Amino acid sequence: MLGELEQVVLLAIMRVGKDAYGVPIHDEIQRRAGRDLTLGTIYKTLGRLEKKGLVTSRIGEPTSQRGGRRTRCYVVSAAGKRALQVAFKALRHMATGLDVGLEPA
Amino acid sequence: MMLRFCIWILERALLPELASPVIGDLVEQQRRGALWMLGETISACWQLHRRPRVIDGFVHAFFSDLRIAARLLLRSPGFAIVSVLTLGLAIGATTAIFSVVEPVLLRSLPYPDAGRLVLVWERDRDGGRDNIGFATFRDLVAQSRTLERAAAIGDWQPTLSDNDDPERLQGDRVSWTYFRTLGIKPALGRDFLAEEDEPGHSDVVILSYGLWQRRYGGDRSLIGKSILIGGKAMSVVGVLPKSFDNAPNPTAKIWRVLGYRDQSFACRTCHHLRMIARIRPSATLADARTELDQIHSRLVQAYPKEYASVGMVVGRVQDEVTQRARPALLALSAAVLLVLLIAVANVVSLQLARAIRRGREFAVREALGATRSRLFGQLLTEGLLLSVLGGVVGLCVVYLSLPILVSRLPSGLPQLSAIHVDVGALAVVTTLILLLAVVMGLVPAPARRVERSASLRAGGRFTGNTNHATRATLVVSEVALAVMLLVSAGLLGQSLVRLLGVNAGFDATHLLTLEINSTGAGYRSDTSVYEYHDRVREAVRALPGVTSVAVANQLPLAGNVDMYGITDPSNVPANPELVPSGDRYAVSADYLETMRIPVLAGRNFTAAEAAQANDKVALVSAALARRVWPNESPIGQRLRIGGADAPSRTVIGVAGNVRHGGLDATTTMQFYIPERQMFFADNQEMLVVRTTGDPAALAPAVRRAVAAIDPTQPIDKISTMEDVVSASTSQRRLALILFAAFAMAALLLAVAGIYGVLAGSVSERTREIGVRSALGATPRSIVALVVGQGGRLAALGMALGLAGSFALTRYLRSLLFGIAPDDPVTLAGVCALLACVTLGACIVPAVRAARVDPGTALRSE
Repeated sequence: MLGELEQVVLLAIMRVGKDAYGVPIHDEIQRRAGRDLTLGTIYKTLGRLEKKGLVTSRIGEPTSQRGGRRTRCYVVSAAGKRALQVAFKALRHMATGLDVGLEPA
Repeated sequence: MMLRFCIWILERALLPELASPVIGDLVEQQRRGALWMLGETISACWQLHRRPRVIDGFVHAFFSDLRIAARLLLRSPGFAIVSVLTLGLAIGATTAIFSVVEPVLLRSLPYPDAGRLVLVWERDRDGGRDNIGFATFRDLVAQSRTLERAAAIGDWQPTLSDNDDPERLQGDRVSWTYFRTLGIKPALGRDFLAEEDEPGHSDVVILSYGLWQRRYGGDRSLIGKSILIGGKAMSVVGVLPKSFDNAPNPTAKIWRVLGYRDQSFACRTCHHLRMIARIRPSATLADARTELDQIHSRLVQAYPKEYASVGMVVGRVQDEVTQRARPALLALSAAVLLVLLIAVANVVSLQLARAIRRGREFAVREALGATRSRLFGQLLTEGLLLSVLGGVVGLCVVYLSLPILVSRLPSGLPQLSAIHVDVGALAVVTTLILLLAVVMGLVPAPARRVERSASLRAGGRFTGNTNHATRATLVVSEVALAVMLLVSAGLLGQSLVRLLGVNAGFDATHLLTLEINSTGAGYRSDTSVYEYHDRVREAVRALPGVTSVAVANQLPLAGNVDMYGITDPSNVPANPELVPSGDRYAVSADYLETMRIPVLAGRNFTAAEAAQANDKVALVSAALARRVWPNESPIGQRLRIGGADAPSRTVIGVAGNVRHGGLDATTTMQFYIPERQMFFADNQEMLVVRTTGDPAALAPAVRRAVAAIDPTQPIDKISTMEDVVSASTSQRRLALILFAAFAMAALLLAVAGIYGVLAGSVSERTREIGVRSALGATPRSIVALVVGQGGRLAALGMALGLAGSFALTRYLRSLLFGIAPDDPVTLAGVCALLACVTLGACIVPAVRAARVDPGTALRSE
């Protein structure tokens, strides 16, 4: 079962699509979920997800914008998508028949 | 700048594969504008420090240092045990004293805005404090603008007789505003009401939580019910909170409304009430003082014949109630800090001695590549380990010693129940421990600056001069501190000896004293009370081993105040309040004989005189006779006791002076009258029994004999007169015991310090001594060399200590009796004692030095 933070980060990566590294992931979560996570928290979660095999990462190109530092870009793996599906299914089942604002499938 | 600092940290704290992307992201975000760099950095370090080398290295080094330190301590158990015990005792003693001082002197009293609570007294001509009369209280309250609320407090010692076990209680009779003035609400029931504070409506009581739990099992239905007090039904209206601490009278367990209005005892000159008040937030203490003084002078003008006082005293409750114990507690705090300093000096000195011996070890480690900071860390860790172990021992010491200490404190102090090893004391101890750790790590550091190569070449025989100087300084300061403590203890000890040598005016040996009561329905008339006293005296006198028995309304040195103005009817001053006061002793005829108070002139009253009330007689003490009739014989003079309209009495004799208020109090004056000739009967009476043998052994028999006459009356305060005398000096005893203990510890530590320095020095100078004796030095001259070295240290320490003791003992002045703080005998005695023990400490190293065989010493090169 995925943690809530893990779900948010996985969805943020999928939303950003190409070149999903720290800053865009942070911005996406701030924009959509209204939560101002620190980079430390985001990378910690990313590290956990990568260890579980739910995301993969590659080293990106250095830019002058970043003081010549390389980015580390993340992509949600097939296992990651499956984990999200399982999590949402469980959530829907739990919510069925309850007036909590979650539509049954 | 900030960014560069954060990058610097992140590069070191994060994993290399994460450092680059995280820093890149941070830079990117920073370029875009607002960002709290430091917060992000701290968060990143916290979240992503999976193997941060900085901390990991530190932790690793710390634990390895700790292991090494523990191993080293185990290898020299003597050093370890001495250091840990020294530290433990010092930390424990410091915490214990601090745990007492903090709640008693420093913590504010447990009332809302306690700083505005004051006690108000009338001020005597000599600056002393006097209780006030009810009329004065009423006028002060009515006229004051600076006081928000005020209450009068009177003594009340009721007897609870609502079951088979009659019990005498300490209580207070208070104005209905009392708890409102303190800012306390009853936890159960209600507070007193204004309409209850009237004659005839005042039979309502409020109980302390402790009394309610103990005697009534915490029965909530007690509220509104009546309990029997002194044979009278009084209704319980409230129970105070468990945490309530009655600072003006900590022993009170029950409160009743005052109910004064215009009774004879509610007068202006009936000085038996205390006054507590709360100053308005808009006024200051100084405002209140000025205003109450003004009101007082108006009252004096209006009633010139009813005031002897010259003004008012307004003091914060906290200061007033701790006034007597303050000097002792402050002196003890100073003493215990000295002990702590000595202990630190001693442990540091022991560390130094080890550092010398370990010079070679450190040299080898440094040669093998250990950094200075690593070696420093090692020393620091050793200090920390010692301090923590010392702290643990210290906590044990506190937990063991604190209850004993508290049980010996005077019971009038506030918040005694609040004394425990509290968080504050623990925090102080912890701080001390850490401080010690740093000190112990740092001070031996100079020892390591000795040139390593020299140390290595010299095969460990090289020693540093700086190190020697440091140790010598430490020893000198230890001796100095020990001298200060010894002088203080010596002065306190001599004070106590002199105090106990004071002639109290009576013979306290072979006397048993106890309080008997006669309250309730059976004792409404004065005659029934007197007859009860007679029956008790007869029954007790019939016991084997009893030679005489007397009753008196009060006893010397027991802390009672019961004074009446004494007027010579032929010489009444314009203001009758200016007549002298004497301690009232309403007694049975055999009182003086039982107490062995001498009759100096005239005669004692006979049993027949004491049995009637018409022909009134009195004896006066020598001091009173001299004061009232300075140039005449007092025998045959007339006097009135308690006001101009009181009956006059014939003086038939002069009794010896008695120390009534305390052995150290200035002599007060007494008068003795037969109890039947007082205008009321005392329901509480002291019984004095003179015995042939041990008075304490007779206590059960006396108690049985008294109880057999009326089992419904409580018997209280059974004690020998010698114990009463000794209890009157308990505070001095406590101070003396602690000072003596501290001084002995200090002396031991100082002697150990001198021995350590000399022993170390002798073993380091073996070669030098060998050379000296090879060149013809006699054993005698070598002994003189070593003893001289120790003697110089001790002499310097003594000189500094004597100078220091002049500064310290000034604060002891109020605890001293009959001795000056710079008493030459005490100073000389301390110096002689120190000289003897110093010599003792020198002898072993000196003899060892004299036995050095020059051949062996030189060949060992």
